[in-house]
Amino acid sequence: MSYLKLENVKKVYNNKVTAVDNFNLEIEKGEFIAFLGPSGCGKTTTLRMIAGLESVTHGDITLEGKSIVGLTPRERGISMIFQSYAVWPHMTVYENVAYALKLRKLKKADIDEVVQDVAKTTDIVQYLNRYPSQLSGGQRQRVAVARAIAVKPKLFLMDEPLSNLDAKLRVSMRTDLKRIHQNVKSTSIFVTHDQSEALSLADRIVVMNHGVIEQIGTANEIYHESETMFIAKFIGSPASNFFVVNVILEDGEVYLVHDDFKVQFNGQEKDVLIKNYLDKSVVLSIRPENFTVNKGGFIKAKAKIIEPQGSHIIINTDIGGEEIKIVSDLLELESGENILLGFNDKVLLFDSETEKRIK
Amino acid sequence: MLEKGHVKEIIKSPYLLLVPALLFYLIFWFVPVATSLYESFTTISGKVGLNNFILVLQDSLFLDAFVNTLIFALLSLLLQFALALGIAVLVNQNFKGSKLFLFVILIPMALPPSAIGILWNTGLVESGWINSFLATSGIQNVLEALGILKGPTLWKAVSGLEAVMTLIIIDTWTVMPSVMIIILAGLQNFNEEYKEAAQIFGATKWQAFRDVVIPIIKPSIVTALLLRLISGLQVWLIGVMLFGFNNVPFLVERIVYYTDKVRTATNSYKMANAYSIFTLGHVFTVAFLFLRVTKDKKEGAK
Ligand SMILES: Nc1ncnc2c1ncn2[C@@H]1O[C@H](COP(=O)(O)OP(=O)(O)OP(=O)(O)O)[C@@H](O)[C@H]1O
Ligand SMILES: [Mg+2]
Repeated sequence: MSYLKLENVKKVYNNKVTAVDNFNLEIEKGEFIAFLGPSGCGKTTTLRMIAGLESVTHGDITLEGKSIVGLTPRERGISMIFQSYAVWPHMTVYENVAYALKLRKLKKADIDEVVQDVAKTTDIVQYLNRYPSQLSGGQRQRVAVARAIAVKPKLFLMDEPLSNLDAKLRVSMRTDLKRIHQNVKSTSIFVTHDQSEALSLADRIVVMNHGVIEQIGTANEIYHESETMFIAKFIGSPASNFFVVNVILEDGEVYLVHDDFKVQFNGQEKDVLIKNYLDKSVVLSIRPENFTVNKGGFIKAKAKIIEPQGSHIIINTDIGGEEIKIVSDLLELESGENILLGFNDKVLLFDSETEKRIK
Repeated sequence: MLEKGHVKEIIKSPYLLLVPALLFYLIFWFVPVATSLYESFTTISGKVGLNNFILVLQDSLFLDAFVNTLIFALLSLLLQFALALGIAVLVNQNFKGSKLFLFVILIPMALPPSAIGILWNTGLVESGWINSFLATSGIQNVLEALGILKGPTLWKAVSGLEAVMTLIIIDTWTVMPSVMIIILAGLQNFNEEYKEAAQIFGATKWQAFRDVVIPIIKPSIVTALLLRLISGLQVWLIGVMLFGFNNVPFLVERIVYYTDKVRTATNSYKMANAYSIFTLGHVFTVAFLFLRVTKDKKEGAK
């Protein structure tokens, strides 16, 4: 039985705006889950429904097998890190961490023990007597983490906890969060619209768009087996490249035909293509690193712009009027050079109507 | 060298900018206060001493004025704070019609003090609108049947503490909106996530309000109450408009009385000045105590 379960959860604001719809998710104990999606896709709304800060319009949420939709936030045993941290400005760091414990009527000595303990874990021992206004953003963020783990929550919710930090701090806090998660083994949900955060932190990622789940999977699954065109476009930087191609059958072989190339297709989707897509157009999706450059290809192109990245380069080119980005290790390639492109078999095909993966 | 000159200019400029404000205070504040100080500590013959203050203490209404002022200021402060906080929280819920509700609540703020005096004067007289409302709505009959009232109430026939209470109610009606508006501004600036965090970490709605909302909006509350406290200590006009001079004495009422009404008496002008200085000291002391009591633990720790 799953630890946290969301069943057909739906949220409608003011009888008008449907923020989340048909949301189904099961989380195991100790898992680290990321909600990933563009701004306004309903990540915060879902998190707030789990926390009890927002009512559920339809559906059910169960934690340890019991429905929690009717409970107040304090009855749920969940803790949360807010995007603004919401570290109380009128309390010292110590008081911030201790407040929840005081409300639980713990003894002073016990409170002190817990506070010192989590302060050590989050590395804020030397700030315990300061007020939040005397701390930097990163330190405040750690106070928010300390406050959240002090209560030993059943579930640990984080709403873009790193988005207010500078790029460098974000990466180091990310590692800290992962370390803390491994230490306290809390079941966690982490909201972000930064894909590298989601990919590097989470056991599984829930990709959302317009209030619905596009795909649930590990970083590898999401990246290499994207279920929808949205995900292929949204995940990866640079994102996937798309070609609209026609499917034809010649001498019992399947070919994908584009204005600029024609290629035989031998992937596992071959049978489905023959069955459903003959003489129809489908969308071929190729990740930038799955192209081959100047290694016996079949697409002639010109490297328009080269973006050196140190370890590799990004080639911007143009195939059939579409802007295409290719990752290559040909560091000496110059812009303006003619190149010959091919691609390996790690390509995905999408139905051009439903934008869902053909498999 | 050049740099030094620059630094000097930068240091100097803010003080230069203060000059107009300083001049303003010098002319319109310092001069009258200094004059008042001088007048209060000298007799007509020019002798320096506490003579005028002794006259003030001997004024048969001094003690009443002092006590009334304190009672008025403190009770109206408490009443207005409780009401203003409650209404501000209510309006902040953004319920349907809360905008209209807010508008209605704010109406008394738009009335000038003399209009308020007249409004309540016409209400409190025997055939005023309060009594006619009670009569036409039938409440009067009910109260009479219950034996609570006998005939129309003579609201203005009250004296002493009852009169002060009447004034407190009228004052509350008048200025509570201004207290409420400042607290409401504080509430609307308040980041809801602070409260939500408290609820998530185990606080009931009430605990979250008490432990998080109130302390965080405390600066607005202290500001509103301090302004209220000071103007409460300076009450006089409404008292005089409803009950006339000498009947419900207040400290500032005494000042006006001795300046305006009995100008001809030999020492009245001197007494008015002595009353002014006394009131000034009184307001300072009370305001100081108030700030002491409401001071943040946070500042104290620094
Ligand atoms: N209180 C509200 N009333 C009405 N609509 C709301 C409310 N809160 C959110 N919405 C709407 O619900 C949708 C989802 O909002 P939500 O805050 O969950 O997005 P998000 O995924 O967290 O976005 P972001 O990455 O920008 O934080 C948005 O279209 C938003 O406009
Ligand atoms: Mg959000």
